[in-house]
Amino acid sequence: MKRRSIIAATAVGAMSALLISACSSSTSSSGSSTTPTTGAVAFNAGISSVVNPSSTKGGTLTFDVRGTPDSFDPGNTYYAWVLDFDHLFTMPLFGYKSCPGSCGLQLVPDLATDMGTTSDNGLTWTFHIQPDVKFENGTVVNSQDVKYAIERTYDRSVMANGPTYYQALLTDPTYPGPYKDRSKNLMGLTAVDTPNATTLVFHLQAPFPDLPYVLAFPNTAPVLPSADTGSNYQLHPLSTGPYMFKSYTLNKQLVMVDNPNWNPATDPNAKQLATQIIVNMNVNQADIDNNLIAGNADIDAYGAGVGPAAQARILGSSSLKANADNPVNGFARFVYINTKVAPLTNLHCREAVEYAANKTTMQTSWGGPVAGGAIASTIMPPVIIGYKSFDYYNALTQPAGDVTAAKQQLAMCGQPNGFTTNMAYRDDNPQETAEATALQASLGAVGIKLTLKGFPSGPYYTNFAGDPAYVHAHDIGLAGGGWGADWPDGYGFLDELLNGNAIAATGNTNISEINDPVINNLFTESSKLTGDARTAIWSQIDEQAMKDAVILPAVYQKTLLYRNAATTNVYVQAYYGMYNYAVMGVSS
Amino acid sequence: MIYFIIRRLIMTVFLLLLVSMITFAIFFLVPRLAGQTAYQLAAQYVGRNPIPSEIKAVEVKLGLNAPLYLQYGRYIKGIVAGIHYNNGTDISYCPFPCFGYSFRNQQPVWPQLISDAPVTLSIAVGAAVLWLIGGVSIGVLSALRRGSFFDRLSMGVALAGVSLPVFFTGLIALELFSYHWPIFPNVHYVPITENPLLWARNLILPWVTLAFLYAALYARLTRAGMLETMGEDYIRTARAKGLAERKVVVKHGLRAALTPIVTIFGLDLGLLLGGAILTETTFSFPGLGQFTILAIQNQDLPEIMGVVMIASFFIVIANMIVDILYAVVDPRVRF
Repeated sequence: MKRRSIIAATAVGAMSALLISACSSSTSSSGSSTTPTTGAVAFNAGISSVVNPSSTKGGTLTFDVRGTPDSFDPGNTYYAWVLDFDHLFTMPLFGYKSCPGSCGLQLVPDLATDMGTTSDNGLTWTFHIQPDVKFENGTVVNSQDVKYAIERTYDRSVMANGPTYYQALLTDPTYPGPYKDRSKNLMGLTAVDTPNATTLVFHLQAPFPDLPYVLAFPNTAPVLPSADTGSNYQLHPLSTGPYMFKSYTLNKQLVMVDNPNWNPATDPNAKQLATQIIVNMNVNQADIDNNLIAGNADIDAYGAGVGPAAQARILGSSSLKANADNPVNGFARFVYINTKVAPLTNLHCREAVEYAANKTTMQTSWGGPVAGGAIASTIMPPVIIGYKSFDYYNALTQPAGDVTAAKQQLAMCGQPNGFTTNMAYRDDNPQETAEATALQASLGAVGIKLTLKGFPSGPYYTNFAGDPAYVHAHDIGLAGGGWGADWPDGYGFLDELLNGNAIAATGNTNISEINDPVINNLFTESSKLTGDARTAIWSQIDEQAMKDAVILPAVYQKTLLYRNAATTNVYVQAYYGMYNYAVMGVSS
Repeated sequence: MIYFIIRRLIMTVFLLLLVSMITFAIFFLVPRLAGQTAYQLAAQYVGRNPIPSEIKAVEVKLGLNAPLYLQYGRYIKGIVAGIHYNNGTDISYCPFPCFGYSFRNQQPVWPQLISDAPVTLSIAVGAAVLWLIGGVSIGVLSALRRGSFFDRLSMGVALAGVSLPVFFTGLIALELFSYHWPIFPNVHYVPITENPLLWARNLILPWVTLAFLYAALYARLTRAGMLETMGEDYIRTARAKGLAERKVVVKHGLRAALTPIVTIFGLDLGLLLGGAILTETTFSFPGLGQFTILAIQNQDLPEIMGVVMIASFFIVIANMIVDILYAVVDPRVRF
């Protein structure tokens, strides 16, 4: 269900973001509603407060973005920046509360009127939608438009890019989608009922408390069946948000203008401040950074931070630095330690790796403390709901590695002089390559000889690191990796990484092949719980997995974001780890 | 002359057909010979965690389940006669010359190529004019003042021009003239139909950057050619006849020295029209070069095929024009 690669990191939906300090200093629990604070223009001001608050209407808000969107069809996207951007022209059933700080992790109704009700032991969910939301053409949205939006995602030959949760969660997993036989399949998904114009009833294969999180993807934004143009819908999706498409030259430039049928009362998480929005695509990162600093562009839509040259320039200038933010986002970098490859089958050998690794050099490999991330001691990043800080292997107190403890563990493992194993990594990723080299050096200091095996990113998880048969046959004890969750709670982050059920013959996401009954039981238990009791389970799983030493954490990823001084209502939305595009304006 | 042109046009068609066969074989036949199945190819275009039936559906939709000769025939048919494709809700017609539709964004390739071509054309033609005038002029002057300070300086600069890649000079140019001294602020492509002045203003830096590289090359070539030509007996004869020096240089010297320049100019311009990849990337101009990079990054085979075909077309046409010019410059070529 979730993803794990640097490509996935960008292609993936859910990213949460928050500065560690903001987390630790916040007294409000995750998910609590707070009034947004306003802050002066200063470094990191956009993480916990609204910078340049304004309700002034006017101006053109210009986004530059490297690369192109996977699609502007809300049913066919998984890129993080597009998920953020989509809120300018869509209203999914749910969204994340528009506010800075931990408040931005709170899931709130968007098109829906409430968080839904469950019955039938969690197998049935009922949601109601607002009765007075309109498409840009004035047509009132009804529940069938939402159902149709979900139906479209079932046809992978037209909608290849988006998430695939519905087939896994809902009854009727073999529904072919509405396109193949339109007369038969239009409104043919039996897993979703629409008893009236404002009610949706979802039928699940098994209880799944996180369903509202799944319904926060833009693929629940309503689509009018008569306006659906299939693969061409990306060129002009019918808007329900504050802006609508004026023109879109595929993969080059998008121009949006005010949607006259948008009602701010129905969509409190978005604003309609700028009179025009322009997105320039395929701009190279150096150009974007220079444009931002020169004021030619307002925001880097990609949201992965400025390039190395601009980093130095921004951090070296107090005036530029005041317009920058350096949040931790919801992505973690780590190294899988395989529990089925000898001698790492022995817990003490795995613990020796945990102790011996030099976390500082690993952090440097990923770009250092600003552009790379903060040294990690847990699997979950601090921004995930359920995170708890602990440090079993002295990652924070002895970041250069605890050689003494590592040697003790080697002795207990029966390998006092060390051992030999292989490490897989993506050799077309310079940072991961540097990390592998750094790890090779630090493990070598205690006698653990690491042979590096580089693989291309494309088939890395399907043919190599994610193929247990290949891993066993080639004695791959360690494998570089990373992970970002589709939604910011512990289930979203940990399930695919650590649940024994997730071990698969190919495309394996539980690359450590950990099948710990304690962890498996905690996951099972979590599906029966809600609220704080459920949240508490995530840190228990994280701690147990670290006790099992199945993952060597490297960094909680950070990015250096820059906001043009002319932008208004700017802040980092914790869920995305980038600025909240749905509420921004521009002062000139 | 007419027969000559017709002959070359017919050859051009055959050449493009040959290119299409080779390109198709590289992208569709070679992977198959290496063991890749149509199912595996389809799996690249169906997103994450697909089930087998979904991959099969994509395989059928993209036509990858058909024998290769049928796939190739369908491709060629699309180019010469257009083709229908399924966009989900209905069947769309992709008219001549349809280069298929993208495996990724499911949009016809040809309109995307056509939309990108003016950007590349703007860069390439403008830069070509600059480098041809600049390079040839400097080359002629250097040759006529061989060993002078001007000759040494211009050839030194030319050496730098040849040695420095576009992505370096382009970034320096942007840093200096767009950001540090904003003489050309916010450089981005503006269509000539939208605002000719802005079009030209935004293209000056890309033109100069690209022309700097090529002008250096042309200056050195022209200088070498002129030095050789000006030493020929017929130049001495021309001077002995009492012809003005300007006439000797331009009509007798330069015309002969231009023959290799015309050849290489055609090839260079043809190559650039297929995509000025480095220049477009450096200046973030959405032309065929950027399209090529995206197509390769996405492993979007129809888009790669399309851009290869259009680049081949430009090169072949440029060569044909060179051959025609050759025939004008040197009538012996016609026979």
